[in-house]
Amino acid sequence: MNQMTNVNPDSQSPMLRVDNLTHRVSVETDTLTILQGVTLEINRGESVAIVGRSGSGKTTLLGLLAGLDTPSEGTVELDGSVISKLSEDERAKLRAHRVGFVFQSFQLLPALTALENVMLPLELAGMASPEKRARELLERVGLGERLTHTPRQLSGGEQQRVAIARAFASEPLILFADEPTGNLDNRTGQAVSDLLMALNREQGTTLVMVTHDEHLAARCNRQFHIEAGVLSEPEAAQEMAH
Amino acid sequence: MAAAKKLMSVRRDWRERDVRVVLAALIIAVATVATIALFASQLQRTLVSSASSFLAADRQLEAENGRPIPDAWLQEAADQGLKTGRMVEFSTMVFGDENFQLVSVKAVSNEYPLRGDIEIQRNPTGTRELVNQGPGPGEVWINPRLLRLLDLEVGESLEVGNLNLTVSGLLIREPDGGFRLSALAPRVMMHVDDVAATGVIQEGSRVEYVYLFAGDEAALESYYQWLEPRLEPSHEWAGVRDGETFSRSLERAERFLLLGGSLAVLLAAVAVAVASRQYALSQRDTVALLKTLGLSGAGIGGLYLKRLALWGVTGIVGGLLVAMPLYWLLIHMLSQVLERPVEFQLDPSALVPALLTALVSLFAFAYPPVRRLRNVPAMRVLRSQPGETGREALPDMIIAIVAVFGLVWMYAGELALVVSLLGGLALLLGALGLVGWLLVATLRKVRGGGNAWRLALVGLYRHRRASLSQIAVFAMTLMLAATLILVRTSLLTDWQAQLPDDAPNHFLINIAPEAVEDVDSFWQERGQPLDKLYPMVRGRLTELNGQPVKETVSKDENVNALNRELNLTWMSALPDDNEIVEGAWFGENQKEGVSVEAELAGKLGLSLGDELTFTIGSEKVTEAVTSIRTVQWDSMKPNFYMAFPPEGGLTEMPATWITSFYLPKDKKDALNEFSRQFPTVSVLEIDHVIERIQEIVRQVTQAIEAILALILAAALVVMAAVVSATLQDRQREGALLRTLGGRQRLLVRSTMLEFALLGGFAGVLGVVAAEAAVWALQFRMFEGTFQWHWHVVLPIPIVSAVVLALFGRWQLRPVLSVSPMLLLRRLE
Repeated sequence: MNQMTNVNPDSQSPMLRVDNLTHRVSVETDTLTILQGVTLEINRGESVAIVGRSGSGKTTLLGLLAGLDTPSEGTVELDGSVISKLSEDERAKLRAHRVGFVFQSFQLLPALTALENVMLPLELAGMASPEKRARELLERVGLGERLTHTPRQLSGGEQQRVAIARAFASEPLILFADEPTGNLDNRTGQAVSDLLMALNREQGTTLVMVTHDEHLAARCNRQFHIEAGVLSEPEAAQEMAH
Repeated sequence: MAAAKKLMSVRRDWRERDVRVVLAALIIAVATVATIALFASQLQRTLVSSASSFLAADRQLEAENGRPIPDAWLQEAADQGLKTGRMVEFSTMVFGDENFQLVSVKAVSNEYPLRGDIEIQRNPTGTRELVNQGPGPGEVWINPRLLRLLDLEVGESLEVGNLNLTVSGLLIREPDGGFRLSALAPRVMMHVDDVAATGVIQEGSRVEYVYLFAGDEAALESYYQWLEPRLEPSHEWAGVRDGETFSRSLERAERFLLLGGSLAVLLAAVAVAVASRQYALSQRDTVALLKTLGLSGAGIGGLYLKRLALWGVTGIVGGLLVAMPLYWLLIHMLSQVLERPVEFQLDPSALVPALLTALVSLFAFAYPPVRRLRNVPAMRVLRSQPGETGREALPDMIIAIVAVFGLVWMYAGELALVVSLLGGLALLLGALGLVGWLLVATLRKVRGGGNAWRLALVGLYRHRRASLSQIAVFAMTLMLAATLILVRTSLLTDWQAQLPDDAPNHFLINIAPEAVEDVDSFWQERGQPLDKLYPMVRGRLTELNGQPVKETVSKDENVNALNRELNLTWMSALPDDNEIVEGAWFGENQKEGVSVEAELAGKLGLSLGDELTFTIGSEKVTEAVTSIRTVQWDSMKPNFYMAFPPEGGLTEMPATWITSFYLPKDKKDALNEFSRQFPTVSVLEIDHVIERIQEIVRQVTQAIEAILALILAAALVVMAAVVSATLQDRQREGALLRTLGGRQRLLVRSTMLEFALLGGFAGVLGVVAAEAAVWALQFRMFEGTFQWHWHVVLPIPIVSAVVLALFGRWQLRPVLSVSPMLLLRRLE
């Protein structure tokens, strides 16, 4: 557990700072504005839910916050680095060491076993003996018996638990989750979100989650609503946060 | 890096369908190209050695000046590791008990023949046997006809000059029974050591000393380098490829093999390109995920580059492992055809094209789409992104096309071939653009319904991008296969036309002017009419525009025609198979000028109006070149380098007449009567030569068929690869259709129809492009005349429609046998 080595010396600064973020895409002859002037700050260790209807722009926002894409205007500052100004490779390096992901559709590599899927980010981050850590995590998510199974041999809930293990494997400072329970039934979804929140607490990770599951959103410290590309934070949630 | 390593292992790759296709394409490419190259190089050696037996050696040195060559020359050849042999040829009278006959004697040393065999009979009723040595000292073998002419029995003695020799066998066929004019009268073969004792050869006798050489090509070449400065004009150095009749057939066969190999290269490139593009598409999610997990673009590039290298090694090793048994099989087949063992020889240089094919296919075709993977946006993990447009791939395509045509050019060494194929492909792509436009324009109007035809057409429209690219690949594949089929057909037709069953197989030479009419009527009465009779005057070309011709012609050009006497003729009409390429044929009363054969004119650098001086006996004749014409040397009819007009420069010269005609085997006895009635006329029997040529053509045909089969198999694999590229989409669609209530029969029929339409379209396009390519090829490479071959190519669109319909049916199997729900879940 060497989490502190990755932390910015100025631990009081926000984990994520977004300033006037606008994103447009061109569709044939027209230009569509997906996000409009989004500004927000997320502190270290906070858990944040972004809630909105389909097509409201929440996934685009998540992609921009995580540096998977670059905005048309505005800046995203992650752990002190302005990621909207980094090159693709610099962003990749940042992701390898400080960012974790959980996806709605799990995104496990079908050819690799559960263990290998969890080892992969550790290897990419250059860890010397990734297997021990990967085993520990899989045991932690309750899949200690399923190490050699490929995604095809696992149920949806199990696959998402592998994905969560993978996300926490490299001890990220911040974890982005895109509808982590979206593809799961209620009970499994509940179990997976329990696990996600528990690991988040244990590791002190900052969590940014996109969901339309109100129950899950309610378990986060703060909630944002997004509609037609405009982000807002309901007053109650703001009060809770401060 | 266990997990990352596993991501790159070939064993794991093999489980992915697209990788299997890339690897299969590579393996097939390497196997086909290596097999063809190995076999072509072996076939060439075998054919040259078969053909060498026409000379009874690899090279011959002929001394026409009646003097043997210095012993030192033979010693040098032996020192350079060559096998040598000697022959002396002359004409003389031989005597039996009561009769005598002019014969053509060939006296041979123990080494004769260095290549090929002599066919003899120990007695007139005995079986024929092949031997590889001539008669021993004191013995003589004679032509069976001579036995009857002289009323001799085997075992009796024949008087040659001062010497009595025992007739110990009948000479059926000698390996070098070519067209030499000294081989005119019936043949007698004896040992060279007996020649001196006969006393026949005197100062000034007309005698030819012929020397045989055999050995490896490099040694022969180096010996010739040594020999060349020492040769006199009366010496003639002849190799297998020097203008002998069959050498053209041989060259064409070689070119066919190279064309076949080139097409294999193209097919391989197409297969690798299709499969690796498909692979790259399937890898985009993985790449996006790896990027999300923090792998840099360079890291991704490196990962896939290593993987390509592994494929390359696997493809090359696998391909060679497949090539070896195939090559062994072909060799086995060849030895069956030839009825003699053919060595299983691995010529390392023949493997180079295969290795280059693998590397070029990988790096020009597989690498570009894989390299573009590094541009896949990481955002793809959250949301599917627009796929790449064709524009990004365009520069890569241009590089790939240039690379593969460079490869074909290097491989076949023929710019004409490359340009023809490129032209055919360009035409194909143009036609394809048109078809694509028509497809979109017309199919847009078709609406779906419960009818299989409609569903098929809607299917074509719905998959229009995939349909068009599939049509493109099928059409290209079919074009390449059709090109090969067409070239093979025209090659075989040409050969058959060149040597029909009734091709002239006997020449009559040395017919005195006053005997011409009698000779003509002799054969007319026996139902074997003669071809046209030509006067013939022997003369040397000595001056060109007043300068000695040997000084004016570049030393680099080895012009045999200058080293010997030429057969000159006069004629009023241009022979049917000759063609004027420059100038004009003689006018009605024209008495000046000479018409020169085109190839010789080219070598001598002649143009119209150049003055040629011929030395005929002690006379000199000078004429200006008035026309240049092509000649069919392989027509088995008398052909002439130089033709004069009637009553032109040759009129005053002493001429004899020459003709050719067809004489069936069962009428050969008529030759005895003819020889008795016209003892001075020489009969040149070339029926054995023609049989040999036909045999070689048969061998080559077999080889061509084998290679054609190989290429067609490769084409089929390419098509399977392309069809399986859309396998998943089609299966998902089929499952959906079934879920939505589509009946199985409807599904089967519409899918088969859709594929049949694809195959039919592609077949028609491919065939048209192939005709265009063959049209272009025909002129430059195979020297034939072009004609449409609809009867040959018509089945191709039909076959391709049927094959593809079956492929389509095969794809549907899981859709029909598994519940749609299960299938949809499996394809998730």
